[in-house]
Amino acid sequence: MATPSPIPAGISKEQAFSMAQTEMEYRVELFNKLAQTCFRKCVDNRYKEAELNMGDNSCIDRCVSKYWQVNGMVGQLLSVGKPPM
Amino acid sequence: MAAADSSAEPAAGSSGTNESVTKIEPIRMPTVEEMRAQEVWNNCAVKSVASGVMGGGLGLMMGLFMGALENPIMHDTMTGRQQFIFTAKQMGQRSWGSCKAFAVMGLVYSAAECIVEKARAKHDIVNTAIAGCVTGGAMSARGGPKAACIGCAGFATFSVLIEKFFDRHT
Repeated sequence: MATPSPIPAGISKEQAFSMAQTEMEYRVELFNKLAQTCFRKCVDNRYKEAELNMGDNSCIDRCVSKYWQVNGMVGQLLSVGKPPM
Repeated sequence: MAAADSSAEPAAGSSGTNESVTKIEPIRMPTVEEMRAQEVWNNCAVKSVASGVMGGGLGLMMGLFMGALENPIMHDTMTGRQQFIFTAKQMGQRSWGSCKAFAVMGLVYSAAECIVEKARAKHDIVNTAIAGCVTGGAMSARGGPKAACIGCAGFATFSVLIEKFFDRHT
């Protein structure tokens, strides 16, 4: 996970708070989407047993790492500037 | 939220049932020990060694049982005590051989299934079929390629049937 960026000087408390709130909302949304996507992809919905099988575990590992990588790449591209599509 | 049965107004969720309202447990996140235990048991080596040990135990029991069944009773050549020692030695040999065979079988099957499932990242019946084929082929590889093929097919079918039998509630 990326370390939280230090608040630059000269920003009021309300602005810092709203920045933190936006960041938190973004993180929560990211986690929810990630969990939902990987659950839908990896877990077979016949639900024979309550625990994750080994195949499910390795599928979830791969899914999360791919999702995270793509998320990082897209975030970087968006922060640099809109690329010509 | 959970209303007792003797309350005047009926509870919203249990209007149809006569028994007391079942408590709904909140979703519990796994503790650190549970996660560590899961990591340990996810390891292919640990799993296959444990399966090998269990297979060895099973083989020991079966070998003892089978060895006790067939004992040549020679009343005239040996005394009772000698007969007992002879029978015990034969049972021990038999059960040790059976223990080794079953331990190898359990180890190979568990290792193959673990590796295949990790590689495919899916929990299927195909994993058990492939693992059974590998085990059967490895066990009967001494008889040549044809025997290996037959052993592979036979053991794969056997393990698929056993898995379906133990997995009735779909």
